[in-house]
Amino acid sequence: MFWHIFSNRLKCIIRDKQLVFWTLVFPLILATLFSMTLINISKQEAFKSIDIAVVNNEAYQKDVGFKNFLTEASQGDNKLFNINLTTKEEAEKLLDNGKVEGYITVETQINLVVKNSGLNQTIIKSVLDEYNQTVSAVNSIVTDNPTALQNGLLEDVGKRIEFTKNIQAGTKEKPDSAVNYFYTLIAMACLYGSFFGLKEITDIQADLSKRAARLNVAPVHKLKVLVSGLCAGFAVLLLEISILLSYLVFAMKVDFGDQIGYILLTCFVGCATGISFGAIVSAIIKKREGVKTAILIGATMTACFLSGMMYGNMKYIVEKNVPILAYINPAALITDAFYALYYYDTPTRFFTNIGLLSGLTVIFCLVTYLIIRRQKYASI
Amino acid sequence: MIVSVKNLVKRYGELVALDHLSIEIKEGEIFGLLGPNGSGKTTAINCILSLLNYDKGEIKLFDKPMAPDAYDIKRNIGVIMQDVAVFEELTVYENIDYFCGLYISDKATRKKLVEEAIDFVGLNEFRKFYPKKLSGGLLRRLNIACGIAHKPKLIILDEPTVAVDPQSRNNILAGIKKLNEEGATVIYTSHYMEEVEQLCSRIVIMDKGKVIAMGSKDELKAMIKLGEKIKVEVFDLSSSYLANIKQLPNINSVEYTENNLVIKYDKGKNNLNTLLDFFRDNEITYGRIYSELPTLNDVFLEITGKELRD
Repeated sequence: MFWHIFSNRLKCIIRDKQLVFWTLVFPLILATLFSMTLINISKQEAFKSIDIAVVNNEAYQKDVGFKNFLTEASQGDNKLFNINLTTKEEAEKLLDNGKVEGYITVETQINLVVKNSGLNQTIIKSVLDEYNQTVSAVNSIVTDNPTALQNGLLEDVGKRIEFTKNIQAGTKEKPDSAVNYFYTLIAMACLYGSFFGLKEITDIQADLSKRAARLNVAPVHKLKVLVSGLCAGFAVLLLEISILLSYLVFAMKVDFGDQIGYILLTCFVGCATGISFGAIVSAIIKKREGVKTAILIGATMTACFLSGMMYGNMKYIVEKNVPILAYINPAALITDAFYALYYYDTPTRFFTNIGLLSGLTVIFCLVTYLIIRRQKYASI
Repeated sequence: MIVSVKNLVKRYGELVALDHLSIEIKEGEIFGLLGPNGSGKTTAINCILSLLNYDKGEIKLFDKPMAPDAYDIKRNIGVIMQDVAVFEELTVYENIDYFCGLYISDKATRKKLVEEAIDFVGLNEFRKFYPKKLSGGLLRRLNIACGIAHKPKLIILDEPTVAVDPQSRNNILAGIKKLNEEGATVIYTSHYMEEVEQLCSRIVIMDKGKVIAMGSKDELKAMIKLGEKIKVEVFDLSSSYLANIKQLPNINSVEYTENNLVIKYDKGKNNLNTLLDFFRDNEITYGRIYSELPTLNDVFLEITGKELRD
């Protein structure tokens, strides 16, 4: 009987094009879009040297300190400026044509001429301000205390002292926060498995569908039908998540760490949570299937938003301000389980997430069972 | 008794859907539940099938108390619901096989039964079709095949011909008769009196959750005063003639509107002859004449004061 129901439910799920689209095709499309967007963001965030012009006049040639400062700033792999030494007229022309972000003239003081306001202009101004402040500070110290020069003032001025220290929590030298977006995507796909749970409950509750009424008059225990159906849904969802995972790992090159067993365990538990979530929502809410689907989509997207799908820092905002929400949000738990595998070298955080997810799944299943075990209905 | 229902009461809040309903159905009967929409037919069926909770009463099927987990009873029941209840994602064959498989686990037996059911409803050439490709009538046939493939001893059909074209309806009714001839007891609910009259050996007429009459169609018709209804096309019938007609024997009521004379007779013989003699004696010109025996609608009308299809 199990195989009879299981195989037929499998056919029903696989042939439901809408269901397959939302649980497999849509996450794959979203993964591709995420990848394209995140690459663009990375490109935008990469620093490019700023093109500036410096008027090569007599004052500039005499100001050896400033000349050396600019030379330093325009050398090396991570140089700050690309400098074009030129006449004032030519500098004006370059600025007008947008070839440089600004030009510097040294007269009685150092002047910056820009045409627009923006990030690059702000950087140039900040650098010049800092230079001016440092020169002014050195001049004033030397005036008040000429011996300071012999006591290593110039060396001290050149040093940058940090009063805070970075301590690395995980094993990654350069953790990539973008991976979190892909983890939330898997969480979303797992929670979209709730549609399978919804379908199974609808098809065994006589007050929800006529097919279920027909099934309820058959000589089969309802729980047997439910378990067979949920197993079919679980098998399909696990396969879909595996396809998504493979796509992310092999095509999108998303780093999941190398603990394949734990990665699969997360997918396994995530699928179970997703399906049981759909089952409990379908059992509790006595509305039309369309309304329940809308509720599931809304709940899934909210859960994913709170785990950082649309705004990466949201996960940390929730953890800081409403920590309980991070512990009961299945999307956050799935996301964090993947992140823990990626970043931490100890499994404590990972197992905490898996434990909480398993707990939620057990609660969802128990409540669903308590609701659907009723064998007669008040109305159908 | 195949079905025994005693004093069944079902309430939806303040509304009494079934009011001390009692029926008994013998083996081999085609038992009709007739009543207008909302009279409690489907509620009664759902209670009999243990799908619905009820407030009071006793239900026995095959002389055993019916319960949701009475699988030995359920094994012998086939249900065809009012709405088509099949899976859109499964083909005609797969749908019948799926539902049959809930009753019959042996694959070879099931295959044979499914083939027989497909033959029975005439869906052989549509066996690989998905339900959405079937017309309304074919869908109804599939619905029936899913309910009867496992060869149940008791078949319950809840308004199986709603929204079905006349040809499919005739096929369905013929099929039900055939199932009955093959030994199945049938409970048939409908608000179409013609179907129930044509099909059922015994009929219960329900209204507002109550049984208002029960018996064979002849027994039911014998319960009412109306014996015959004669309609005559008459031109220019004066009020004095109309008054004289009302004095004829067995007359219950006379109506004359738009050249149509409708006379309802109580029981009695030779009513038509008497009327025609009257026309001849008074040289009254008449056109077409129709004589109708009482229908179940007349039974319903006389008992409840309203039409069956109200």
